[in-house]
Amino acid sequence: MSYLVAVFVLTLITLIVAQSFNFVFGLGALLNLAHLSAYAIGAYTTAILATEHAYPFWLYFPLSIFVSAFFSLLVSAIATRLSQDYFLIGTLAFSALVTALLINWKSLTRGVLGIPGIPRPPFLTSPFVSPELAFLILVIVVTLLSLAILLYLFQTPLARALRAQGELEAALVSLGRDTHLIRTLALVISSAFAGAAGSLIALYLSYIDPSSFGLHEMVLVLSIVILGRPGHFWGVIAATFFLCLLPEALRFLDLPSSVLGPLRQLLYAVILFGVVFQRRAVLFPAVRRI
Amino acid sequence: MENLAILPQLLMNALISGSILALAAVGLALMYGLLGILNFAHGQLMILGAYLLLFLSQTLSLPLLVAAPLLVFAGIFLAVTILHLTILPFRNRSPLLCLLSTLALSIVIESTLALLFGVNVQTLAVGLTPAIYQFAGVFVTSLQLLIVCSTLLILALVAVIMGYSPFGRAVRALAAHREGAVTLGNNERQTVTIVFALGTLLAIYGGVLVGYDQSLQPYMGTSFTIKAFAAMILGGLGSVGGAIFGSYLLALVENLAIGLDLGPWSIPAGFKDAFAFCVILLALLFRPEGLFQRGQRKF
Repeated sequence: MSYLVAVFVLTLITLIVAQSFNFVFGLGALLNLAHLSAYAIGAYTTAILATEHAYPFWLYFPLSIFVSAFFSLLVSAIATRLSQDYFLIGTLAFSALVTALLINWKSLTRGVLGIPGIPRPPFLTSPFVSPELAFLILVIVVTLLSLAILLYLFQTPLARALRAQGELEAALVSLGRDTHLIRTLALVISSAFAGAAGSLIALYLSYIDPSSFGLHEMVLVLSIVILGRPGHFWGVIAATFFLCLLPEALRFLDLPSSVLGPLRQLLYAVILFGVVFQRRAVLFPAVRRI
Repeated sequence: MENLAILPQLLMNALISGSILALAAVGLALMYGLLGILNFAHGQLMILGAYLLLFLSQTLSLPLLVAAPLLVFAGIFLAVTILHLTILPFRNRSPLLCLLSTLALSIVIESTLALLFGVNVQTLAVGLTPAIYQFAGVFVTSLQLLIVCSTLLILALVAVIMGYSPFGRAVRALAAHREGAVTLGNNERQTVTIVFALGTLLAIYGGVLVGYDQSLQPYMGTSFTIKAFAAMILGGLGSVGGAIFGSYLLALVENLAIGLDLGPWSIPAGFKDAFAFCVILLALLFRPEGLFQRGQRKF
């Protein structure tokens, strides 16, 4: 039972990360490699505020979201002016910079030791349900709320403009839309959700360290969005469940964790490559030029 | 001025790490100039080459004279396979696809290495005790001298080939105007394959040098990819000479910033890698077209 709850919690948190990435990458074709950095920043904000400063949930949860969104405001100040290759390199540099800071800013993050003993919010202790189940309910509520907001956002003019700037930027500019602003909004919104997911994962694991937020974790999020079809809301939900539950089958093979980790990465990378190769004719139409 | 006594040593260290970086950045710049693609798996290819040599020379205990040609053949085979599987199928399509496929490739290489060799640090220099020379207060091993000299020789050779040989002319013609060059009988597929194989072999040589000079770990490739990107951005994307210059400049900045004792403003050694990332961000902010290139960049 607790195993099922654990799998479900992790899947739902991944769903928030993947669906928000779908907003910026699937709709806008913005390959933001710093997306997981926003997730990491959300997690660390929660970890630091909840342990050292003993802030209540109602304070550190919104603050985690806010700090992640602010971080991506910095990213977009540099990155939204850039074309695809440069955008990738710029966000890659941000992602690497955040990892370097998490490892080396020891007075704040405790470096590679990580932050242990992150307390769960006290309102989750109830006489009726087990703590695990109570946390699952919190995660379900946050996930449903996030998905509802994202589903709404997918149908707003912002989403259409975002899709258009990925396909033919000149058309959008000629209609008087500010593409810089559109990209900035998309990055900030998606990072805010990633920050919320980061806050949840820090509370759930009660221990975080820099290694869980490296660039190689990005492959899961990328393969989810590519498999679920970029920009496709329900497809990404289905792909999240499929890809999160798939490696659980590997657990029954009784492999040591030093093998399980790389094997999982390999599986996701092969799926990512396979889908990109198979669907190369329809995935991301080539940028049209006039 | 006691802290300046360390300066010659820092310059030497910058020369060594800049050489290794230049080997990586040149291949990347050649491919970007020719195909307009960024190979995300370039740093991983370096490390893969070093692990291949580790396998040949330590697991199979072949002598270096046998292992080296085998490594070259393996490198060419790898390059051709990777080019035709992860890069050429995505030509003339959105550049995102090529980025995604090489990103997937980089993870495949990393996790395969972790599965086969384990995540522990290994080195190629087992049982090797290079002589240590000292002149003018600079310590340098014979191995490091070999690294610097061989790299400078190789880079000069590449520059001559690209600048003066018929093949180099063909490459430059393709990079400058694809349709024109193809119409005039340039065998594009062949040129691209040779250039990619050349870039991969340079990267593998760089990886082997890392394996001898420092140590190997399956996940260290990404940091080389990012540093090579940084070097390339400094020199202007796609310019070979610029990439070489950018590599040495980046290595110099890194070593001076970390090595010099600035009193309370000294930068902790842990931030060494972070420099490359800051250089990228500053370059993108102020001079995205490269330090020396004039004119407009493509948006």
